[in-house]
Amino acid sequence: MKEYKPKIVCFLCKWCTSAGADLAGTSRLKYPASILPIRVMCSSRIDPMFVVKAFLNGADGVFIGGCHPGDCHYHEGNYHTRRRFAMLTKVFDTLGLDSKRLKLSWISASEGTKFAKVSNEYTEKIKSYGENPSKWNVFL
Amino acid sequence: MNLPYYPGCTLKANAENFEDSAIKVMEILGYQLNEMKDWVCCGTVFSMTTDDLMLQLASIRNLLRAEEQNLNELVVLCSMCYNTLQRAKKFITEDEEHLNKVNDLMYKENILYEGTVDIVHLLTVLKDRITFDKIKEKVKKPLSSLKIGGYYGCLLVRPKEFAIDDFEDPSIIEDLFSSLGAESIAFPYRLECCGAYQTITKKDVTIKRTYEIINSARRAGCEALVTSCPLCAFNLDQRQKETAEEFIEFETMPVFYFTELMSVALGGGWDKSWSKMHYVDPRPILKEKRLI
Amino acid sequence: MKRIGVFICHCGINIKGTIDVEKLTEELAEYPGVAYIENYIFMCSEPGQKLIRDTIVEHKLDGVVVAACSPTLHETTFQDALDEMNINRHQLEIANIREQCSWVHDDIEEATRKANLIIKTAVEKLKLNESLIPISAPLTKRVLIIGGGIAGIQAALDIADGGYEVILVEKEPSIGGHMIQLSETFPTLDCSQCIMTPKMVAVNKHKNIKLFANSEVESIEGFVGNFKVNIKRKPQYVDPDKCTICDDCTPVCPVVVPSEYDEGMSWRKAIYIPFPQSIPATFTIDTENCLGFNPIACTKCSDACEPDAIDYDKKPEYFEEEIGAVIVATGFDLYPVENMAEYGYGKYPDVLDGLQFERILSATGPTGGEMHRPSDGKVPKEIVFIQCSGSRDPERHLPYCSRICCMYTIKHAKLYKHKVHDGQPYIFYIDIRSGGKRYEEFVQQAVSEDGIVYFRGKVARIYKEADKMIVHGIDTLTSKKIEIKADMVVLAMGIKPNNSAEKVISNLKLNTDENGFLIEAHPKLRPVESLQSGFYLAGTAQGPKDIPDTVSQASAAAAKVLALLSNDEISHSPIVAIVNEELCSGCGICVSTCPYGARELDEIKKIATVNDVLCEGCGACISVCPSSAAQQKNLTDEQILNMVKIYSYL
Repeated sequence: MKEYKPKIVCFLCKWCTSAGADLAGTSRLKYPASILPIRVMCSSRIDPMFVVKAFLNGADGVFIGGCHPGDCHYHEGNYHTRRRFAMLTKVFDTLGLDSKRLKLSWISASEGTKFAKVSNEYTEKIKSYGENPSKWNVFL
Repeated sequence: MNLPYYPGCTLKANAENFEDSAIKVMEILGYQLNEMKDWVCCGTVFSMTTDDLMLQLASIRNLLRAEEQNLNELVVLCSMCYNTLQRAKKFITEDEEHLNKVNDLMYKENILYEGTVDIVHLLTVLKDRITFDKIKEKVKKPLSSLKIGGYYGCLLVRPKEFAIDDFEDPSIIEDLFSSLGAESIAFPYRLECCGAYQTITKKDVTIKRTYEIINSARRAGCEALVTSCPLCAFNLDQRQKETAEEFIEFETMPVFYFTELMSVALGGGWDKSWSKMHYVDPRPILKEKRLI
Repeated sequence: MKRIGVFICHCGINIKGTIDVEKLTEELAEYPGVAYIENYIFMCSEPGQKLIRDTIVEHKLDGVVVAACSPTLHETTFQDALDEMNINRHQLEIANIREQCSWVHDDIEEATRKANLIIKTAVEKLKLNESLIPISAPLTKRVLIIGGGIAGIQAALDIADGGYEVILVEKEPSIGGHMIQLSETFPTLDCSQCIMTPKMVAVNKHKNIKLFANSEVESIEGFVGNFKVNIKRKPQYVDPDKCTICDDCTPVCPVVVPSEYDEGMSWRKAIYIPFPQSIPATFTIDTENCLGFNPIACTKCSDACEPDAIDYDKKPEYFEEEIGAVIVATGFDLYPVENMAEYGYGKYPDVLDGLQFERILSATGPTGGEMHRPSDGKVPKEIVFIQCSGSRDPERHLPYCSRICCMYTIKHAKLYKHKVHDGQPYIFYIDIRSGGKRYEEFVQQAVSEDGIVYFRGKVARIYKEADKMIVHGIDTLTSKKIEIKADMVVLAMGIKPNNSAEKVISNLKLNTDENGFLIEAHPKLRPVESLQSGFYLAGTAQGPKDIPDTVSQASAAAAKVLALLSNDEISHSPIVAIVNEELCSGCGICVSTCPYGARELDEIKKIATVNDVLCEGCGACISVCPSSAAQQKNLTDEQILNMVKIYSYL
């Protein structure tokens, strides 16, 4: 049987997490190819709709990476993200989507090792949940 | 209150005075040291070799016994046993493969080892659970004007994961003896190795160590040393005989287990039988300070 | 539809090693929108760029995707290539298949599949990219420099000489930094104060430099070319215009505190001038120790002051200045000895750190440059120097090499030997790193001429016995344990970012590495710029370095700033928010979300507007818009959703 390889859509803010991911690369750290990056200017740019669409389209997990609280390049963007993420998990539960498959993490430009660690752990977690069931249940 | 307690072999032989005084002191402080059942030797130095899992088994079996007896911790007096048990526990809990192998080797045991037993040194119990302030309140005969050097050796503070205090600059023994009314002196050689088992094969090594350690303590003003390790006590105390033969100007110094002096301070007194366990007779200094 | 060219870089074997570029080229050739696809060994090289330029003409491309390294490295390189061909630079997308793909995966099949997806997302985004022109904004031709050490001073003088106004902010009452505390400098042994003080005077005299000493940067707002800085000047309580520096006040002051300038080895009063050559040359009252505050218990200095320059009621003053660029030169502090239990936590007076020993060596120091030890004034006959104190110890202290300690230690030993001819210096070292011009020669000369004894190994413990410091160490070359009864020990403490800079740096949201040093935009090619545009770095705030390197970096930062200021106006990224007036209901949520005040309500049209110049393009206002009226140029919802689709289908 072919090994199950999850698809994880990752929204990375340009200033911290994407730079952290670059550092993971420069340091030649390893993580699974299930991590699929989309670079945005700030985590606050991420519309909850993107996340819902990703799930309905068949992504197995969505990861959002931003600067540490207090370190946002745009002063307070990640606070918006934090609040929005809390709301989004509620919405997911209400819609019958699996909010355990969402992840928000603060990873700074110097935390290449953290990016690799989170990527590895999160992929393992998603693997343990198996394939996203909601992609067969399009109801919106 | 009961504390599950692992004595180790030496406390039943050469260091009976250590066990005796510890039990007495803990009784005064309202605790009972309950000896665990079916314990065996901790394995001592053999378990410090890293290449053979077999050599860890003695330690692990003790922890397994404790698990069987539903004990969640073991209070240990001997520094060597403390260190050995801690190392063995770390060795198998930090790596699942080690744990599985050890359990495979012990297939005749009734249960599998899980690694749930905590190993606690008596000094830690005194400091964190009883607290030195409480001990101070119970002092009947303050060790006033007695200048004490706390000798840690290596086993209480290395490796740093199991150090009972700051591993570069510990103060737990000094703090304890200050609360007993003594003058604690942190002398430079208090963290040096005593020579340990070299005492059997290369006696001259330990003699030199003893000479340096005791002299360092004397230069710093100490009148007596305290330790929590029977091997250190042997090297520092019994080997003073050979040291005095080797170095003619050498002056001897009494070496106590910390519990012996605690007993004196807390009103438990000095048991006559303890004296013969010492090479350097501790009675003159105790008499001089009017403690016995 | 756009005709898009895809160029896949091998980056030698960096990409090709884990990604099957031939297969990738084949797979993507048929992808809708891809008019041309090619792979090449180094896209960023001139032949690589020429390939792009030629292909643009040959295949009439109007968009380019380069699949290569991170966009932070070569996005502008390829944008410039498009510029040359008169194609708008926003018709370029970088697919990061190196840092975020080939370098982090081992499995060729997996990595190739992921690279395929990454390139497709770039193509999808590019399909909807608009051609944009940079927004031009006015440029304030003034510069703020934070920190008045040698880095800040050098940068200030260079820029001021270039004809632009400089605001120099220093937190201490005098500029000079740590360099003014040094005795002589390696490898030429010229006196630090002699080369430093003329520069300090020049700063004070320069008509283009506005000096704020005893001041702190509270906040900086705005964007490159158009910053506003708020500066707090702490009260000195002595009016510099009235003060004649007669020094009648210090003899009457009853309060004695350790001198910062002498690293605690001499005393100063609560009213003091940090050191004789202080710039500005004014007395300051240290409110923490002065008895004239809350309540007034003493007015002796005020009574003694003939020109009546002292005013205890002075309050902090606040200034707002407009500036176009910022140089951060906040400097270093020594790693504290108090963290090192093995070396006695700093409790032994005869165990000194490097800066304290500099003060002992200095002619203006507490001993007037004569060699006496602090505890009893004895001339030390045997000194042990310990290199890498606190450095290169990832388990317990600083993980990195502090770079200057090898050299300053050999200098210390040499200067000591010049003062005490029959003295014996010993140096414990791990390695001797003397990689600088004439550094190795300096070390060799010291070893052969000055009889310095080196031990390769670390010191395990230092303790005091009688009046000697006993040093226990090991010589790893002979595997012998070494015990030295020394009169004095000097710890070559490592260096760390300045203690008080942390607050400023986090206020400015500048990126730092795991050790707190500022991160440069590129470790090799953009070493004096911050990733945050308009901010430049100089000196040890960016990493440990010696004086020549600090001065070079300061001048480099100044050159970068001068290049920026030579423009008449500044171009601002056009990746900003826009409003679809048809959809906007004027609810104003975006206005309250914008951190830059770039959003306003148009009271007549009843819609929200965007001030392009103020917008930094974070996109926070877009995701809060309930009617999807707000969009971000070239990063619209549609573009992101198309990228999401590429990743989620399959």
